[in-house]
Amino acid sequence: MDPILTFVVILIGFYGLSTSTNIIKSVFCVTIIESGVILLFLNLGNLDGGSIPIVGEGITMIADPLPQALMITTIVIGSTVTALALMLCIKVFHHYGTVEWAEILRREEGK
Amino acid sequence: MTKHLIIIILLGVLLAVFVVAMQDVQILYNTALKSYLVEGVIPRGFEETGSRNLVTAILLDYRLFDSLFEAGILLIAVSGIIWISKHDIEEKNAQFMYDKFKTPDLFVTFSRLVYPLMLTFGFYVIINGHLSPGGGFQGGAIVASAILILYYIDHDKETNIKLIVTVEKFLYIAILLFAGISIFTRGTFFTNFIPTHYSYDVQTIYLVILNIMIGFKVALGLWAIFTAFLKEGR
Repeated sequence: MDPILTFVVILIGFYGLSTSTNIIKSVFCVTIIESGVILLFLNLGNLDGGSIPIVGEGITMIADPLPQALMITTIVIGSTVTALALMLCIKVFHHYGTVEWAEILRREEGK
Repeated sequence: MTKHLIIIILLGVLLAVFVVAMQDVQILYNTALKSYLVEGVIPRGFEETGSRNLVTAILLDYRLFDSLFEAGILLIAVSGIIWISKHDIEEKNAQFMYDKFKTPDLFVTFSRLVYPLMLTFGFYVIINGHLSPGGGFQGGAIVASAILILYYIDHDKETNIKLIVTVEKFLYIAILLFAGISIFTRGTFFTNFIPTHYSYDVQTIYLVILNIMIGFKVALGLWAIFTAFLKEGR
């Protein structure tokens, strides 16, 4: 059940990405998709009866450490991609005076 | 309206495909992986790397190659952000923060109290990355957020963003060289450089030093991103 819920989060991001008219909202939707992917991987790696992946005395079952290590990469890269996209948004706003997709496309065609 | 309906139907098809695909995957994962973890990962992970936290063992030993280029991607993104933004404005921090946003005095007072605690917690997470949850990337993010609070406390300071990025670049080269030492001692690139016949306590020296270097690199990178946004949004 839990992986399906995380996939619903990813689909919400897809829906927002295909219907949003604002550039900043599109960036938010990419972030939502990324959160869904992180939750999905962590859910798959979490086994029944597993504790956190730190071994020591008396630890018999742990969660799979590999998805967690991969998700650190996803979080770092996701944050940098979001920062770069928002910086480009600022540049677009300075150039066009708006951050609406339709408005920018209309101005580009009108040239 | 029809466009939204079509999109919702397509996403529903995707969800149905996913539900069908997930039925086997979770059972397979739960049975096959359990034996693999009990027989392979739990006994061997600590012996081979000297790290009790197996996520750190993967990040800094088994898959160090991936982590190095993850840090490289952060460096490239920071360089891109600095290149796009107006990085050559020389102004004091007080002009950025205080003119535009009226910061409450309560917030400033409490930041003075919280700032040393946040720094200490960040360094704790970095240094204990091989024993407890955390590590270089996570602790670096905590240290960076502590440095951001410093903007509210100390208004007279001036941030030289070019210096930050230069230090980060040299730190990245130092991390690459430090990870490459193992070619001389163990014969393979990008692993623990301390020979295997030493005890686990000696082998953790490598993990602690690499965690500290990666933590500082991440902290400097996030600091540079924040300063670039601050100067751009002025």
